[in-house]
Amino acid sequence: MSHSHEDHERTMSTDVRTTRRLSSVRSSLTTAGLAVTAMIGLSACASNAPQDTWQPAGENAQKIHDLQWPVFTVAGIVGVIVLVFIGVIVFRFRDKGQAIPEQTHGKAWLEYLFIAIPAVILAAIAIPTVGVVLALAETDDTECIINVTGQQWWWEYDYEVEPDGSICGFAPSAGEASPIITSGQVVIPAGTNVLLRGTSRDVIHSYWIPRLNGKRDMVPGRVHYLRLQSDTPGIYAGQCTEFCGLSHANMRMETVVLAPADFQRWLDNELEPYKSPAEGTLAKEGEATYITQCARCHQVNGLVDDKGTDDTSDDTVVVSYPDQFVFSGAAPNLTNLMGRNTFAGASWDLLTPECREDVWEASPEEFGEKYLAGVTEDCLNDIDLREWLRNAPAKKPMYADAELLEPTDGKTRGMPYLALSEDQIDQLIAYLLERK
Amino acid sequence: MFTTGSKLLLGSTVAALIGTLLYGILVGGIMGTVGLVSATAALGTFAAINIFTRDANVSVDDIDAFAGAAAGAERPGSSMWPLAIGLATATITLGLVTYTAIFMLGVILLIAGTAEWMLQAWAERASSDANHNREVRGRLAYTAEMPAAAAIGLGIVIYAFSRVMLGVPSKASTIVAFSVVAAVVLAVGAFVGSNRRISAPKLTGLFAVAGVVLVSGGAVAGLNGEREIEEHHTTAYYAQEGKCGTGEISADEHASQTVAGKASQAATVVLSDSGLTYTFPGLDQVRSGSIQLPRSSAVNILFRNETNEHRRLVADMAPEVEGSPAKICSQLVEEGGVQLLTLNYPVPSFDPSVEANGGYALSVPGVDGARLEVVVP
Ligand code: HEC
Ligand SMILES: [Cu+2]
Repeated sequence: MSHSHEDHERTMSTDVRTTRRLSSVRSSLTTAGLAVTAMIGLSACASNAPQDTWQPAGENAQKIHDLQWPVFTVAGIVGVIVLVFIGVIVFRFRDKGQAIPEQTHGKAWLEYLFIAIPAVILAAIAIPTVGVVLALAETDDTECIINVTGQQWWWEYDYEVEPDGSICGFAPSAGEASPIITSGQVVIPAGTNVLLRGTSRDVIHSYWIPRLNGKRDMVPGRVHYLRLQSDTPGIYAGQCTEFCGLSHANMRMETVVLAPADFQRWLDNELEPYKSPAEGTLAKEGEATYITQCARCHQVNGLVDDKGTDDTSDDTVVVSYPDQFVFSGAAPNLTNLMGRNTFAGASWDLLTPECREDVWEASPEEFGEKYLAGVTEDCLNDIDLREWLRNAPAKKPMYADAELLEPTDGKTRGMPYLALSEDQIDQLIAYLLERK
Repeated sequence: MFTTGSKLLLGSTVAALIGTLLYGILVGGIMGTVGLVSATAALGTFAAINIFTRDANVSVDDIDAFAGAAAGAERPGSSMWPLAIGLATATITLGLVTYTAIFMLGVILLIAGTAEWMLQAWAERASSDANHNREVRGRLAYTAEMPAAAAIGLGIVIYAFSRVMLGVPSKASTIVAFSVVAAVVLAVGAFVGSNRRISAPKLTGLFAVAGVVLVSGGAVAGLNGEREIEEHHTTAYYAQEGKCGTGEISADEHASQTVAGKASQAATVVLSDSGLTYTFPGLDQVRSGSIQLPRSSAVNILFRNETNEHRRLVADMAPEVEGSPAKICSQLVEEGGVQLLTLNYPVPSFDPSVEANGGYALSVPGVDGARLEVVVP
């Protein structure tokens, strides 16, 4: 740097320097603003956006979509007009040292106009909005009831057995129906008006499958309804949308739509009686480990503890009692764990990435077949599942540390660390792999 | 010549020294001894400073000088605060052997007495004008004394009044509180307001009499004890006692006034002449036979009685499961009335202990066949 330049720098007035600094701040702000706008703009074009309200996949979401188009259009036009107006005014009447112009007050016809225009716009928007709100609250056309219960941090579904012995209007192909309990993924028949009856076991959660309907808060002690309907088989993802504690971000849910024939197969499979693993297999050892380590929280329907003997007289039905250990009073039912393809609040895949893509990206015609195959040994994503069994709270943040549980009377929120050995984990994986 | 202050400090030093020796020999304990030694040293230092700066310049024999010295200049006025401190000491001692509350009262009295005594001593030396001194004292002391006196006075009034209220029967107490007392206050206010010339002493006298009446009334009522206050049991208590039958129990009073939230419940269970049916709110379909409710979740059931008898809904729970009652019952409800039952099923209905008990169910005592099987998955 030359001497004279430095001198010049030093004599520069603070004013000039401040202005320079300000203008550099301004230009970086402009850059940041442009970047954010560009990001928002680009994200709108993202093709891989499973939770997109602009891609409705069912009647209810379509109604919302048909409403949001005109509303956003009108709002957008109004917004542009207002912004352009502001811009023109700011530019044309900027301070050039001119005298303050004459001030006038009150112009009745203008004020009436400014009241009338918004009133007309609001009324025009209100009429269809109220119509859609009422249509989405309709329950008369329900064909299938499924109960959904939120808890920290996963969703449980139980399927009612209707008075006529069917589930969702589907009678089991063999035997009698009994209630089905699943978690994470709710399976519904295509083209059926499903009514979710939702509540919560602990705090307020909110159920939202953006491509199928709006949001519905699930509140402890209350039952709220949400319609779901889709004609297109596939998996529709969603997210808890009411902040509900530590792992709120890991409380996801998926609605799986199956063609009626596939739904029938899914239903029959769910109702199949429990099959104990063959004697002498790793899975059989896993069953025993499961009974000692997991059964106090997780239910596997039909599981019987044979106490390791052939004598059936001392067999006992294994019933879980999670209300003694878990704050919400529940843990996912694992009867058909491998029939679903995500776990722990639908936050991790039970399928390897390739197998997952195969199912999730399948065409509506092929989807059912692929989904019903469940998780096979080759497709099992045992990395995440093993990590889960090794130390669940390390994988998903949960208040499951015994030392911090005084306020909940020693009960965990979520699944605790269980100090399993790698051998036990091997056995459990083998056992769980047969749960479908 | 020793002034009073010097004497007090010297005496305290000696007392502390004796205390230290006694403690050190009899009790021991390093920390205690160190503390007491420090206190003794501090007191000794204060005594020495006092004697040196205020007493040393006056000879014992020099009567004139003594009379003229600042320390001996004014005769202190009489004070009741030493008496209060003495009382405080006694109270503290009493409190130590009886109740903590008395001890605390003594401590408060001790602090207040000491502060007042110090303030008085300071004010009396503020100037040679006694009136001015009194005013100075007041200016400082009233900021604390007035609110404290008001609080104590109010406390006494409220306490005495509450004793009277709890002493008389509940109906009478309502009448006394809202009619008699209110009327008296209004009358006195009106009288004083319309009689501008009423003298201050007369008013003071009036209030003094009212105060005495109230306090003595409170004392009498307090000694008599509170009226008998009825104990109210909830239906949960009667359920435990096995009294969820057709008969009326005290928990049944005002049954239909107890239901607030009638919307968004899990189900509405209706008893009519055709038995027990239910609907899910929002669904028109009327169902009977069995009802599915979730597990480990607080479920609210609305019970509506459409027969012309008084009826209650009873839920059979899981008596074998820890923390679950055997039964939960609603209040007896009249025709057209509703009741809310909050149920929480801890284990599924296929639990062997529940099956052995006949399963979960909702039923109505006295109505044969009015029964819903509850399925908990
Ligand atoms: C103290 C109770 C408790 C015990 C014991 C327990 N779990 Fe869990 N488990 C939970 C809870 C609660 C969750 C739900 C956590 C979440 O998703 O936030 C869970 C989730 C799971 C899931 C995911 C299920 C799904 O559908 O999303 C699997 C798999 C699982 N546990 C397996 C096991 C196995 C295997 C064992 C025995 C080694 C076991 N758990 C022991 C409480 C328990
Ligand atoms: Cu949530």
